[in-house]
Amino acid sequence: MPTLTPTPEDTVIYEFCVLYPSNLSQKEEQTLLKGIEEIFAEAEAKELLRDAWGRRGLAYPIKKQTEGNFVVLYIEMDPTKVREIDRQLRILPHMLRHLIVRPPKDYEVTKFSQRFEQWLKDRETAVETERKEEEKRLQRKVVEKAKREVKRTEAKKKAPTSTLEEADLSKKLDELISDDSLGL
Amino acid sequence: MKYRKQQQQQRSDPKLKKCPFCLKETKYIDYKDYPTMKPFVDYFGNIMKRYYSGVCLKHQKMLRNAIERARFMGMMAYRK
Repeated sequence: MPTLTPTPEDTVIYEFCVLYPSNLSQKEEQTLLKGIEEIFAEAEAKELLRDAWGRRGLAYPIKKQTEGNFVVLYIEMDPTKVREIDRQLRILPHMLRHLIVRPPKDYEVTKFSQRFEQWLKDRETAVETERKEEEKRLQRKVVEKAKREVKRTEAKKKAPTSTLEEADLSKKLDELISDDSLGL
Repeated sequence: MKYRKQQQQQRSDPKLKKCPFCLKETKYIDYKDYPTMKPFVDYFGNIMKRYYSGVCLKHQKMLRNAIERARFMGMMAYRK
């Protein structure tokens, strides 16, 4: 990805993030983007890079919209004209939000839309693996329980035989004790 | 017995925690980078205290800045 380095002139690189609703018709969208470009053209700004994120859900509804389109623009321009651009962007119709940020020196541009999608995929796979592990754990538990039950039943089966033996033993003991020849 | 109970309840020293951003030597936290900011926000959307997350003051300030920007742009929730 390219790094942004300011030119030695009196210009500064700015990062514009623009948010507009996703349910606009194509004509409206184009007019909006054109309007933004015109504003920049008026201020004699130079567009360096553009990163359109496309449709993305919002964390909270803005002007009753739950989905929006994000566009990130990197623009090099005179810092005295920023205030005017900010004012004009606020007036533009069909604009939900915009943000102007001065990125740090030698800022490396990364396409966050791709990164976000990758992260979503990774999270899905992580969730799936967790589910599979839990299923395995449950299966193991069931098998162990079954084994324990089998053991218990076996023990129960054995138990009466042992009691019988005990009865025999007690009988023998009684016989021994009752034997007069021992002189107890 | 009492001594043992006390020992069990002791938590790890928060001073021993290391800043995850310092380990990576991050110089700037981007407000568009949702995956890196997400672990420092709790279920209700509040930014986690430094005491619990172990982030150093320098990076906590950067993180707060980034999260507030992301909230403004609708990428993150103010309150769930």
